[in-house]
Amino acid sequence: MLASLRHGSFWQPLGGSNIMKRRTFLGSTAALGATLAAPRISFAQSSRVLRFVPQANLSSLDAVAGTQYVVRNAAVMIWETLYGVDSNFVPHPQMAEGHTVNADFTDWTFKLREGLTWHDGEKVTSRDVVASISRWMVRDTMGQRMKASLDAFETPDDRTVRIRLNKPFPKMLFAIGKSNAPVCLIMPERIAKTDPFQLIKEYVGSGPMKFNAAEWVPGSKAIFEKFGAYQPRAEKADWLSGGKVMNFDRIEWMIIPDAATAGAALQNGEVDWWENPISDLVPLLRKSAKLNVDIGDPLGNIGSLRINHLHPPFNDPRARRAVLMALSQTDYMQAVVGDDTNLWKTCPSFFTPGTALYTEEGGEILKGKRDYEGAKKLLKEAGYNGEKIRLIVATDVGITKAEGDVTADMLAKIGMNVDYVATDWGTTGTIRAKKDAPSAGGWNIFHTWHAGADCINPAPYTALDAGGDKAWFGWPKSDAVQKGIADWYAAPDLAAEKKAAVDINKASFDNVTYGPTGFFLQYTSWNKNVSGVVKSPFPVFWGVSKS
Amino acid sequence: MFAYIIRRVLATVPVMAIVALLVFSLLYIAPGDPATIIAGDQASPADIEHIRVSLGLDRPFLVRFGSWVWDVVHGDLGKSIFTNLPVTHMIAQRIEPTVSLMLITLVLSLALAIPLGVVAAWKQGSWIDRFAMVLSTAGFSVPVFVIGYVLAYVFGLTLEWVPVQGYTPISEGIWPWFQNLIMPSIALGLIYMALIARITRATMLEVLSQDYVRTARAKGVGQRGILFVHALKNAAVPIITIIGIGFAALIGGAVVTESVFAIPGLGRLTVDAILRRDYPVIQGVVLMFSFVYVLVNLGVDLLYTLFDPRIRY
Repeated sequence: MLASLRHGSFWQPLGGSNIMKRRTFLGSTAALGATLAAPRISFAQSSRVLRFVPQANLSSLDAVAGTQYVVRNAAVMIWETLYGVDSNFVPHPQMAEGHTVNADFTDWTFKLREGLTWHDGEKVTSRDVVASISRWMVRDTMGQRMKASLDAFETPDDRTVRIRLNKPFPKMLFAIGKSNAPVCLIMPERIAKTDPFQLIKEYVGSGPMKFNAAEWVPGSKAIFEKFGAYQPRAEKADWLSGGKVMNFDRIEWMIIPDAATAGAALQNGEVDWWENPISDLVPLLRKSAKLNVDIGDPLGNIGSLRINHLHPPFNDPRARRAVLMALSQTDYMQAVVGDDTNLWKTCPSFFTPGTALYTEEGGEILKGKRDYEGAKKLLKEAGYNGEKIRLIVATDVGITKAEGDVTADMLAKIGMNVDYVATDWGTTGTIRAKKDAPSAGGWNIFHTWHAGADCINPAPYTALDAGGDKAWFGWPKSDAVQKGIADWYAAPDLAAEKKAAVDINKASFDNVTYGPTGFFLQYTSWNKNVSGVVKSPFPVFWGVSKS
Repeated sequence: MFAYIIRRVLATVPVMAIVALLVFSLLYIAPGDPATIIAGDQASPADIEHIRVSLGLDRPFLVRFGSWVWDVVHGDLGKSIFTNLPVTHMIAQRIEPTVSLMLITLVLSLALAIPLGVVAAWKQGSWIDRFAMVLSTAGFSVPVFVIGYVLAYVFGLTLEWVPVQGYTPISEGIWPWFQNLIMPSIALGLIYMALIARITRATMLEVLSQDYVRTARAKGVGQRGILFVHALKNAAVPIITIIGIGFAALIGGAVVTESVFAIPGLGRLTVDAILRRDYPVIQGVVLMFSFVYVLVNLGVDLLYTLFDPRIRY
């Protein structure tokens, strides 16, 4: 066909002597058809390359300055932590050989394991560790508590770091080993000296994969290459801990923003693993004999109806409780993830179902038949008389759009005058930071959700804090909640932690810190020639292989 | 002519200045900022404020605008707030896929739409004419993403003739490059094709009723000669105008097409930048698009002289 094009027989002006001949045209078309029909495209790829579709665009790699999950998921391949949590949230030595601590948890010493090197060939030293922890402490809630009682860092030698505190900090190992962002990632000193409120500009780590910055096309692909000098630990890998054995030379993150296209690419074998297929496409993926579909993150998510505590009517706890009396978690969950009951359950709790601190004590208000009349009565007692309730709904995010629609309906049922503000997530982020009255551009309610991994205990759980002015958006204030959180930090054992969790749960429902709208899970899907995929709050690439 | 070209090129400077001011102002008043997105959902209000300050987003409008314009006139479009990569580098990374997509779309559209429009005018009222008009109406009515999904399902997923997404650089072979772009080009080109086919038909109908066409017939010129040598050349000016105007539609369509087919082009770069409020990238890309648009229009104006010697600048 190309030859026919070159010689001008495929298409010539009708008025000239070289007219388009019907047979020539048909012949050329047939040739085109043959060219297209003959070979089916082969998408077979090397077993040493894994093509992965992440949940969102990877726009940066700094899991200390930012808390986006997708950033954390990439960062934990490049950098490691001194300790790392396993699937039971138990921290184990990772970059550290081990630690010693005194009886009152104020004097911690960590020794780096031998042979640790950065991707640029330099040795990992205790100075890198101090700079990294110092940066992380500014941004992380647990880090800030640690910083508040820090006396000094000491580096007696290149492999030893001593942390002296003036108050007991029994949660040290969890703090520096947790997977929730900000993650206490250890970076070279020169990178770790970056302002904690600015993104790092260099991506040199000591983890099992190196970041290939030259091939990075933000919004399209991010390439990770195996770090040859990485020495996996001898223990079996379990989430952030153990021997991170990499079976791939390259992991290619393919950013495919359109869900239907990502689904088609997975079915076609163009990609190997899609982190978060939308629930609408799951039945289709299940039909494919080539694919596995399973729950990705067993810790799931807790939906959130976030209330602004500063302005009427919700500055009165009775108005907030009225909302909970009418809130049907079943309605929310069906709207968010559909009828697949494997994917959701009601959750009359602020903690993640199935984890150690989960409790329903205090959550009775979310159970049983919804009491719209009771809610109306309570609203009246709170002095509500028809003011507009400014409901901010990020309609570009499926989950918040669904939650917002249910809330609008529920508020109308209890006689509230809803001002439904449809906007995008970026704008929601700006509006929710405003403390102004709703009539002056502020807000009454917005929706989001919290990863279950963040709701396992109060440490990574920003949304649980009820410290008033310094709390998360909505600025809830409750001394009882704050006392419960302080008790949890000081708890010497699990029993004491559980008692603190019960107190927090009761106080949070009493105060209505926010309205939990239910617990939901999401699927992940991967090709059957890929094995070793484990359930985790973040995609675990070590131990995965491809045939 | 040369003086005209120089004048037109120089005229792009105030146009670009106005575009720059408009874009900057719109972004300034638009709600949302990158600090919220960098910080992530779990960040506290104080953290977000710290990040805003560290990014310089708390500075007054004029200071920010002045500093940006100063950099731009020195050839520096700035760096992405998120990736820290120079905007020029990010644009350079994305130019090839978008130019390739546009090129194939243009070639396909022109190669099909102009003959279709000419034949439809020639055979006015016939089944060919009706078919051409139905096709062009469908081109206008069916959104790009619907066509894209249907093509991907049939030719990508079911027949497995072409990949459903992605882009292969031309340096890795013409055939893989073409395979990745054929479906997006058809999806993107349909509306363009419809536009050109309709305008070609309408203009040709007008031209074919002119006296000189009758004279040509009387002199014994064949039908093909009349259509493609005499009539089409005289109908070319409005067609070229539409091709130029349609270029803007093509840029808009490329944004959707690149998203549907996961092509790492400038359209997706723009959308991603807008969603993240990555101001330097948005400003850089919009400036570049407006510059290209001004140049395309200049090219169209110059082409007029080729088809109509009466036009002189």
